[in-house]
Amino acid sequence: MARNSRTDLLQGTLDMLILKTLALGPQHGWGISQRIQQVSQDVLQVNQGSLYPALHRLELQGWIASDWGVSDTNRQAKFYRLTRTGQKQLQAETDNWARVTEAVARIMNMTTS
Amino acid sequence: MTPRTLWQRLRSIIRPSTVNDEIEREIQFHLDMEAESRQLAGADPEQARREAQRRFGGRVQAREQVHDVRGMTFWDQLRQDIRFGIRTLRRSKGYTAAAVAILALGIGANTAMFSVLHGVLLEPLPFADSQELVLIEQEGRQSQVVQAGVSIPELFGYRERLTGVTDLVEYHSMSFTLLNQGEPDRVDTGVVSANFFDMLGIRPLHGRVFLEHEDDIGAEAVLMLSHQYWVEKFGEDPNVIGKVLEMNNRPHTVVGVLPEFPEFPRHNDVYMPTSACPFRSGAEQQLPAGGHRSFAGLVVLGRLAPGATAASVTPELQTIASAFEADYEDDYIQAGVTGLAASAKPLHDELTEDVQALTWILSGVTLLVLLIACANVANLSLARTTQRQRELAVRAALGAGRGRLIRQLLTESLLIAIVGGVLGIALAWVSLDLLIDFVARFTARTGQINIDTTVLGYSIAAALLSGLAFGLVPALSTRRNVVNSMRTGGAQSGDTPGRQYVRSTLVVAQVAVSCVLLVGAGLLIESAYRLAAEPLGFRGDRVLTAAYFGNFSQSQPLEFNARMLDRVRAIPGVLAAATTNAVPQTAITPGVFAFEVEGRATPAGVRRVTDPNVASDGYFDVLEIDRISGRDFSIGDTADAPVVAIINASMAKHWDGADPVGTRFRVELPNQPWRTVIGVVPDFRLYSADQEVEVPAQYYSPVTQNNGFAGRIMVRTAGEPMTFVPAIKEAIHSVDPQTPIEEVQTLADLRDERQASPRLTTILLVLFAGVALTITLVGLAGVIGTSVNQRTREFGLRLALGASPRGVLSLVLKQGLILVGVGLVVGVAGAFAFSEVLAAYLYNTPTTDLSAYVGVVVVFLVAAAVACLGPARRATSIDPLTSLKSD
Repeated sequence: MARNSRTDLLQGTLDMLILKTLALGPQHGWGISQRIQQVSQDVLQVNQGSLYPALHRLELQGWIASDWGVSDTNRQAKFYRLTRTGQKQLQAETDNWARVTEAVARIMNMTTS
Repeated sequence: MTPRTLWQRLRSIIRPSTVNDEIEREIQFHLDMEAESRQLAGADPEQARREAQRRFGGRVQAREQVHDVRGMTFWDQLRQDIRFGIRTLRRSKGYTAAAVAILALGIGANTAMFSVLHGVLLEPLPFADSQELVLIEQEGRQSQVVQAGVSIPELFGYRERLTGVTDLVEYHSMSFTLLNQGEPDRVDTGVVSANFFDMLGIRPLHGRVFLEHEDDIGAEAVLMLSHQYWVEKFGEDPNVIGKVLEMNNRPHTVVGVLPEFPEFPRHNDVYMPTSACPFRSGAEQQLPAGGHRSFAGLVVLGRLAPGATAASVTPELQTIASAFEADYEDDYIQAGVTGLAASAKPLHDELTEDVQALTWILSGVTLLVLLIACANVANLSLARTTQRQRELAVRAALGAGRGRLIRQLLTESLLIAIVGGVLGIALAWVSLDLLIDFVARFTARTGQINIDTTVLGYSIAAALLSGLAFGLVPALSTRRNVVNSMRTGGAQSGDTPGRQYVRSTLVVAQVAVSCVLLVGAGLLIESAYRLAAEPLGFRGDRVLTAAYFGNFSQSQPLEFNARMLDRVRAIPGVLAAATTNAVPQTAITPGVFAFEVEGRATPAGVRRVTDPNVASDGYFDVLEIDRISGRDFSIGDTADAPVVAIINASMAKHWDGADPVGTRFRVELPNQPWRTVIGVVPDFRLYSADQEVEVPAQYYSPVTQNNGFAGRIMVRTAGEPMTFVPAIKEAIHSVDPQTPIEEVQTLADLRDERQASPRLTTILLVLFAGVALTITLVGLAGVIGTSVNQRTREFGLRLALGASPRGVLSLVLKQGLILVGVGLVVGVAGAFAFSEVLAAYLYNTPTTDLSAYVGVVVVFLVAAAVACLGPARRATSIDPLTSLKSD
């Protein structure tokens, strides 16, 4: 996808975080943003305005799907869930992330000899 | 793309409001949850709501980003453009109506012509694998027999030896009297091989087609009804199958009804297998006794073997044909065919060749009309863009990008194009029947002419392309102007010199193309005029003609002929009557037969050919042709008396000034007698002049020496000929009540009919050219009008400084006439180049005919001057004071 190639690192990360969050179970947009914030212990703040474009993009890519359902507070909400291709994508991104962080870590751990 | 994601994408386009609604609800839910959680953390409701919104950021931007992601933005804008376009177009009704009408004319003409082009030329014939069907043609190269026909033994020979073409079937047409419930009805009968319809892949509408052995000699006689005959005579009764009809003194059983199909080479009322035709089966039965050219009037069709083409099988055909001639030399000499040549021709070509050039020409013409229409609407919308400069400037200032402005203008032109296209298609729809009638004069293939999906696709494509074409011109000229108008505050909504140049070029182009069309129309008119002015050499008024089909089983032809003429001549008011096979101006073609003059050796380089005809005494009296010398036929010219002939002046030239009367000539074919010339008549137009530019050499032999066979009767009457029809019919039926009489017409009507096709062609082209001229002149007036508006101040100033109104008037006229003049120069050059395609349709008129060109130039200049007069007079009536104050 042409759009995908334009995503910067931060946005790519957001996609991965969304997929990872949904791997735990279906969730609505607000829930996703809360979960990311909580688990990262408020280190990662999701820019809420860019959350929804990201969700819709992932849906059009077929990695997540959506259904309207009822929230805990008894409101109509759009729930997103991971699709099978989404799981594969998440795996690929997880592997890639591991490789990148490891590489970055190796560089950061360089000692002056 | 999975079905689900595809659906998501589709939903964004086809149900944008639902999708948008969902996005809104989703965002609203988010904000509610956020606010709620803050409230739970202790904030007061109002503060929580505001905090939630602050954290979320721009709600509208978020929504638009989602729209972007979902690819909805393009459609959002398109919808806006369309809504806005419709609003603006409704505000300028005059412009919209003019543009739509002009386009509808252009698209309508194109749709109609394309439906003909498509249905007649492009679509395959409605036969099974029709591209494989070929016609086997024979000609006598040396003896100049163009259509030699194929004989029964030849057909059998081809069937036996020819490998490149299989499934050979035969066809010929006869006219028989069919007795249906006692009423005699003359029917055109197609006599065909039993597998004729199977080979073509034609399935019966009711009943069945002929069975394999139904063309064997001695088989029971069966019939198939053509669709038209079944409708007209049997009222579409499906129970007609099994009905027994009397024909040729034999019962014929109806076995099937045919669907409509392009009947080749002519329409027939009924079809029968070859065994049922007494002449055809009789000839076949006599074959063992010899006669290799027996019944040589068959049309033979076949199917190309796999891989073969019409061109590739022709050498094989030629080899076989040459073998025929070598083996049966005497038969061929006797039949007057020497140098037998055979070839295969695709059936599609045979069926459409008369209409091909005409269709392409008229299609080209309509395309040119559409081009003019586009150029014109482009000019209209350019003028309109100029007036909208302020609006466009404001929109640009408010942030609309150039692309967005161009899109808006394009959307408006496409809207016009679509409406114009739909109206055009409707126009074509209502006029299609007329056009089909016209085309039917040239081809049997009119059944497939209709406005189907292909034609619709073409028209829609033509409409959209036109919309793009005339929309792009003003759209692309907006850039500099927007900036300009902002600089001048959009107050002086004037044309830039660049745009004025574009508009002038468009007018010049329109004038040039119209000029080409007008010259074409002018040439056709000139040709029609010359054709009509051609002296006929006979008097055609008050002459009635009719075809009769003597039922000679009851009276001898000679006797029938004499008695019929006696009775008809006895009718009060009948001035003269004659029988003949040559009625002037009918669709007959002249024969070409070599002849020799007794005692005059034919000099080298001189071709003596003549066209033989049959006439009774009184023939030249009916036509009021005064003999140059000699006498008319008389009752003394019997079969036992010396063979006589009357020749025309063209033929008499072969006597080098000597009087031919009393001398003899002979057609150079075996068994042809020496004929004594008894009279010479002046040349007259037996054939229409468009068929034969020069009157050919002709001779007439008396009906009495032709066994009494003639076929047609001509009667000169004292009063209106049609009032004599009952009396003449009664007179003929008093000789033999079972004589069908058909094609009762006056000579004047016949002549009219012959000229109808070229006249219609001329009318169509004149019509198209007229449309082109009108559109062009309207466009010219528009351009000059706009220019006058812009120069209001200048003209005001000139008038204030003492210029005479006349001077101003001529200034404006000059501007218009210069444009037209330039266009005419280009157009005349173009007409010179293109009018060659019309050459085949012109009678005695060169494509460079001066009067057509001069006429067009004069007409155009005068019409253009009239068109410019309106704006020019407006220029002279400008009030200097007002115009100077107006800014």
